[in-house]
Amino acid sequence: MAGRASPVSTARRLHPGAWWLWALGLATAAIRTTSPLLLLLIMAVTGLVVAVRRTGDPWAGSYAVFLRLGIVVVIVRVVFWVVFAAQAPGPALFSLPSVTLPSWLAGTRIGGPVTADGLRAGLYDGLRLAAVLVCLGAANALASPSRLLKAVPGALYEMGVAVVVAMTFAPQAVTHVRRVRAAHRLRGRPDRGLRAVRGLVMPVIEGALERSVELAAAMDSRGYGRVSAISPVRRRATATLTIAGLLTVCVGLYGLLGQGVTAALGAPALVLGLAAATTGLWLGGRRSPRTRYRPDPWRWPEWLVSVCGLAAAAATAGGAPETGTPLLPAAALVLALAAALLSSPSVRREPA
Amino acid sequence: MTAVRLRPRSAITVGLVSVAGLAAFGWPLVVAPRAGLTQSGPASWLFVLLLPVLLLVALAEISEDGVDAKAVALLGVLGAIGAALRPLGTGVAGFEPMFFVLVHGGRVLGRGFGYLLGSVTMFASALLTAGVGPWLPFQILGAAWVGFFAGCLPRLGGRAEIAMLAGYGAVAAFIYGALQDLALWPFATGVSTSIAYVPGAAVTANLGRFVAFDLATSLGFNVPRAITTAVLVVVTGRPVLLALRRAARRAAFEAPVDFRRT
Repeated sequence: MAGRASPVSTARRLHPGAWWLWALGLATAAIRTTSPLLLLLIMAVTGLVVAVRRTGDPWAGSYAVFLRLGIVVVIVRVVFWVVFAAQAPGPALFSLPSVTLPSWLAGTRIGGPVTADGLRAGLYDGLRLAAVLVCLGAANALASPSRLLKAVPGALYEMGVAVVVAMTFAPQAVTHVRRVRAAHRLRGRPDRGLRAVRGLVMPVIEGALERSVELAAAMDSRGYGRVSAISPVRRRATATLTIAGLLTVCVGLYGLLGQGVTAALGAPALVLGLAAATTGLWLGGRRSPRTRYRPDPWRWPEWLVSVCGLAAAAATAGGAPETGTPLLPAAALVLALAAALLSSPSVRREPA
Repeated sequence: MTAVRLRPRSAITVGLVSVAGLAAFGWPLVVAPRAGLTQSGPASWLFVLLLPVLLLVALAEISEDGVDAKAVALLGVLGAIGAALRPLGTGVAGFEPMFFVLVHGGRVLGRGFGYLLGSVTMFASALLTAGVGPWLPFQILGAAWVGFFAGCLPRLGGRAEIAMLAGYGAVAAFIYGALQDLALWPFATGVSTSIAYVPGAAVTANLGRFVAFDLATSLGFNVPRAITTAVLVVVTGRPVLLALRRAARRAAFEAPVDFRRT
């Protein structure tokens, strides 16, 4: 699509956050449904979008990895159902020889009759997990991780920098290991096996520590870590919100694990606690007054893609039936497909 | 030596997040028969969505006051080594070469640094391999615990220290693997197979079912992982500890920095 665009507008990448919202919306739809038709449709939609919209970046191949993982999950779920489903109802298709494990393993029964209902339930459950994995694989393949890191909230600035440093240095560490190994080989020292590990690890770690000192000096000299003065009131408010929020989350979880009255109180407490903790996170981010270098814009294509993805999640809010044709969720999925395929944002440039 | 100071506030936050994290791992063992969590299948995804938020809150709280440029740079390069080592482990049963970096790093640079190092290493390696999935928050929390508790070990020196670290590495790697299996358990077995959790059953009965599940699936990975971690800790122990201690001394984390105008 970019090729046919007019010379004054060049394609830009969609904001990685938009891809993640889109994929998470589809994943939520997959979690909520048990209809195999819908699950297959979701997988087809993500596959098509990845095939059309992916770039040549190294992470673009992760969709295939997640797809393979999804197939493994389906097989494992079905095998578990066949081997371990001791009390599945319905007429038996065939019967496996059965063993009962000792009582310290909860007296589990292995084998026994295999029913058609059990097989189908295992297959559908596995399919659901696979669909969720495939959605996340699509997000991994489409969204650039380094651009996503640029969008971390202010309170996590230091951690974001540390992860960026780690991602930058990891390939260098690998080349460093190769260099040290080559040097070992040239000197006739062992370069494989446990005996070589110490000889390999030490130069790599020493080199890395050396670089970290240089890096820290460079960061200090460029004014890293400057924080704006925060009033004690705001500081205390942040602390109170965070800790009270986390406490409420723990109470809410306790409620959700119980039953009766505590269970009814669990969900509201959880939501309230989460809201308080995230507000604390946001307030804490105000301490680092930073501007971003060339931030990724969030314009109508991003809105379109993310809203259509979330609409797919909303369309399955009632839970789709296992049989029949779920028209509304299917329509929402087609809409999500169209939005993801058609919204290719562009930057308008004045011709020279 | 503590590279990252844990204030009481941060310690409370880390503790609360750990309590919620324990619930995220172990809820199938203790859940009540008609609990809010098991009323429908989707509810088991709650923790996958909840844990990332809680982890972000904990990391923000730790880094708010006490992560200087030197600590960030050290976190970055040590995390890079861990992330670069991680692909070496795929293919070999359970071999996880990343853990010895976490054990040594947490030991030398303190528990707060160990917590951050575990999180940063796991997250960076997931981003590098484009492997961000529902397992990631559980792995991050597990690795953060490995680094944190390595920083809590008692003061020892010489061979005894290496032996203690190796023992800790083995135990930590095994528990890490078992916890990941526990997180995977409800997803892998559904609710009605004979090795799935039974809501409302006694903890011991559910634990027995979990052990059966673990035996059937991944105990063959957890034991080799524990052994290889201990071996790597012993092999690299003395020189790596020395190098890290020297770097920590050069960085002078505990030296007071004051920019007040006089």
